[in-house]
Amino acid sequence: MVGVNTLREMYEQMVTARHYEERLQEEYLEGKQPAFDISAGPIPGELHLAAGHEAAAVGVCAHLDDDDTVTAPHRPHHVAIAKGVDLEKMTAEIFGRETGLCKGKGGHMHLFDPDVNFACSGIIAQGCPPAVGAAMAADKRNEDSVAVAYLGEGAVDQGAFLESLNLAAVQDLPVVFVVEDNDWAISMPQGRITDVDTIADRADGFDMPGVRVDHDDAVAVYEAARDAVGRARNGNGPTLLDVQVHRRMGHFMGDAEGYRPDADIERAKRLDSIERLADDLRDEEVGDDELDEIRSRAEERVEDAIEWAKDQPEPDAAAAHEDVFVDESTAASGGDD
Amino acid sequence: MIVDVDSESVWPADADDVDEAVVANWFVREGGAVDAGDTLCEIQIEKVSVDVTAPESGTLAERVVPENGEFRRDDVLARIETD
Amino acid sequence: MSTPASDPGTGDADRELTMSRAMVDAIASEMRADDEVFYMGEDVQDYGGIFDSTEGLLDEFGRDRVVDAPISETAYVGAAVGAAQAGMRPIAEIMFADFVGVCLDQVYNQMAKNTYMSGGSFNVPMVLTTAVGGEYNDAAQHSQTLYGLFSHLPGMKVVVPSTAYDAKGLMHAAVRDDDPVVYMFHKRLMGIGWMPAPEGPKTPVPDEDYTVPLGEADVKREGEDATVVTLGLHVHRALDAADRLADDGTEVEVIDLRSLVPFDTETVLDSVEKTGRLVVVDEDYQSFGVTGEVIARVAERAPDALEAVERVAIPDVPIPYSRPLEKEVNPQVEDIVAAVESVE
Repeated sequence: MVGVNTLREMYEQMVTARHYEERLQEEYLEGKQPAFDISAGPIPGELHLAAGHEAAAVGVCAHLDDDDTVTAPHRPHHVAIAKGVDLEKMTAEIFGRETGLCKGKGGHMHLFDPDVNFACSGIIAQGCPPAVGAAMAADKRNEDSVAVAYLGEGAVDQGAFLESLNLAAVQDLPVVFVVEDNDWAISMPQGRITDVDTIADRADGFDMPGVRVDHDDAVAVYEAARDAVGRARNGNGPTLLDVQVHRRMGHFMGDAEGYRPDADIERAKRLDSIERLADDLRDEEVGDDELDEIRSRAEERVEDAIEWAKDQPEPDAAAAHEDVFVDESTAASGGDD
Repeated sequence: MIVDVDSESVWPADADDVDEAVVANWFVREGGAVDAGDTLCEIQIEKVSVDVTAPESGTLAERVVPENGEFRRDDVLARIETD
Repeated sequence: MSTPASDPGTGDADRELTMSRAMVDAIASEMRADDEVFYMGEDVQDYGGIFDSTEGLLDEFGRDRVVDAPISETAYVGAAVGAAQAGMRPIAEIMFADFVGVCLDQVYNQMAKNTYMSGGSFNVPMVLTTAVGGEYNDAAQHSQTLYGLFSHLPGMKVVVPSTAYDAKGLMHAAVRDDDPVVYMFHKRLMGIGWMPAPEGPKTPVPDEDYTVPLGEADVKREGEDATVVTLGLHVHRALDAADRLADDGTEVEVIDLRSLVPFDTETVLDSVEKTGRLVVVDEDYQSFGVTGEVIARVAERAPDALEAVERVAIPDVPIPYSRPLEKEVNPQVEDIVAAVESVE
C-alpha cells in the first residue's frame, strides 16, 4: 500500500520530468534545422532524454534523502529531478552557462550536485563503482545512508557492473543497483547482446536478490525499492532491481531510429507510466482538476528553470584553465595563447 | 539527351510530412562520368540520410542544388547528359 | 583553397567520397577478398556504426561477419586479439577512443605486447578502429583524441587519416598489415549527416584498391617560410591558416603526419631544414605527447636548422562542455596563424 500523498509527489515529479524532456527536445532542436547539425543551437552536443523512464526514478528516489548517494548514466535528467537536484542550475549547466551546476564544464552527461549527493557520467556502467564507494564510506562510518547506481540494460555486460555486484556483495554494502531496461542499447536489442531471460537473473551468481519490476509501474517500483533500500539501510546488503521502462524518443537527439521497428516505437508511446499512475490516483479519489493543477505547477517550474537558464551568462574563456585541481598553485600548461 | 535527377523516388515513407531537405554531400564532380546506379549525392531530411543514385549513365552535366544547399521535395537536384 | 602538394585521385577518379565512405569502401573490398576479415563493435550492424564506419556492410556481408558486440570492450577487443592470434584478420571498433580506458589492458598489455613477449612466434594482425576528436560539445569523456597515449605505448602501429583518399589507402594497408594497427578516424571529418565536415576531407578516390604506406607523412601544402606539422582535423585548419598567411606573403608548408607509429621523421626534418621554423599543432593534451615528440626529434637530429619553434595543443585540462570553453582549449585557425606569426 502506498499513501496517496506519496502517489501525488511521485506523479508531480513524473510530469515534471516528462515535461522537462519534451521542452529540452524543443530547445535542443532549435538552430539545428533543416539538416541536423549537432554542434549548432542553444544546447549543442549529445542529448539523451529519458521520456518514458520516469517510474524508475521516482519509485526509487521516494525512499532516499539528501544524504543518500545516487549515480546515474548518460540519460540522467529524470533521476536528477527525483533526487532533488537544483533544477535551475542543472538547466543552466545543460545550456553551458557559467552559473550551471558545473560552471558549464560538465554538460548534460556530467551533472554533479554535492548538496544532494548526485553525480552522473558518460561511460557505460562506470557509475557503479563510485556508488559502491559511497556505500563503502557509509559502512565505514556506521551511517545509515545508502547508495543507488542507475544503469541501462545494455550496461549489464560491462566488467565494471559485474565487479561492482561482487564487491558490494562480498562486503555486504548498502547499495541498490537499478537497471532501467528499455530493451535498446542504442540500436542493439537486448536479446542480441545479453543471454539471460531477465536482467534480474544476473543477481543469481552474486549472492543478492534480483527483483524484476514489469509494466512501467511507479507503484510497483516504489514497493520493490522500499524492500531494496530497506535491506541496504538495515545492513542486509545489496539488491539488483531490474525495472522495465520504455524509451519514447531515440537514444540521442539526432537518432533517426531506423533500426527500431515501428511497432516497438508505437508500443512505447502507448504504455505510459504517467497515465498509469494517474489512474492509481483516480482510484484514490483524486480528481482530474487536481491532476491538472499538479501538471500546471510542474510545467511552470520547468518553464521558469529554462527561462532562468537561458538568461545566464556564458563562461569566460579563461575559466577553461581552472578547476583541474583544487590546489591551483600551478596553472595548467598554456596551449594556444 | 539531358535527364533531370530528383529525390522523389528515394524520399522515405515516414518523412511524408516533410517538404524540405539539404544536399549533405555531392560525390561526383561536374563533368564526371557516371554509371546508372552510381551514388550521386547524399541528401539529409531532418535526421535521415538517403543516397540519390544516377538513373542513367552519362556525364554529370550540372549540380543544380549545391552542397549544403536546401531544396524542396520535388526540386531537380542534378542533370545528367546521357551517352 | 590550398591545393594538396601531393595530388591524389586525379586521372580517372571521377568519384569524390566522404571519409566515412572511403573507409567503408576499403573495408568492404578487403572483406570480399578475404573471408578471414570481419568487423566487430557496438552498433555496427543495423546502425552502420555511430559514425558511419560500417554503413552498408551488414547488407553485403551479414551478421556473421559484421558483428554487434555487447557493451563489453575488454571481452570483445580481447576476443579480437585472440582471433587474430589464431590467424584471422579482425577489425574491432572502440566506439569512442575515450572508451579505451575500459579495455586498456587488452590493448596495451595483450594486443601490443604479445608479438614481442613471444619473441615473434605470435603476431596480432588486427585493426583497432576508433572515433576521435571533438568540437561538437561532447565534453570530457567523449571528445578526446588520445593520439599521444596510443603512440607512446610500444607495440602498436597508429594511423590518422585526414582525407578520404588517405582513409581508403590507410585502411587497405592496415588490414593487410601483419601487426596490430590502431586506425583513428576523426568524427568531424567523416562527413556524417548530423555533423557536417569542413572543406577538405572529401576528395577524389580511385575505384581500385591502393595502399597508403604506414610511416609516410604527406606534404599537403608546400611553402618556404614555416613548417606546420599536424594531423587529423587540424590538417584542414592548418591549410586554412596557410591561406590566410599567404595573403600576407608568408608561405607555410603543411605536413600531414598520417602515421604516428611508424613516424616519418625524415619528411619533417627535410621541411625544417628548408624553413627553419616549426609549429606543431595537435588536438591532444600538450604535455608528454605528439607536440613534444615532434620537437624532440627535430632537436635531436637537426638542432642547428631549428631557429624557432611553437606548439599549439589542448592544454592539460579535461575538455569542457560549454561552447566558449571548448573553443578556448581546442586549437583554432587563428591560433595556428598566431603561432606561425610568432616564429617568423
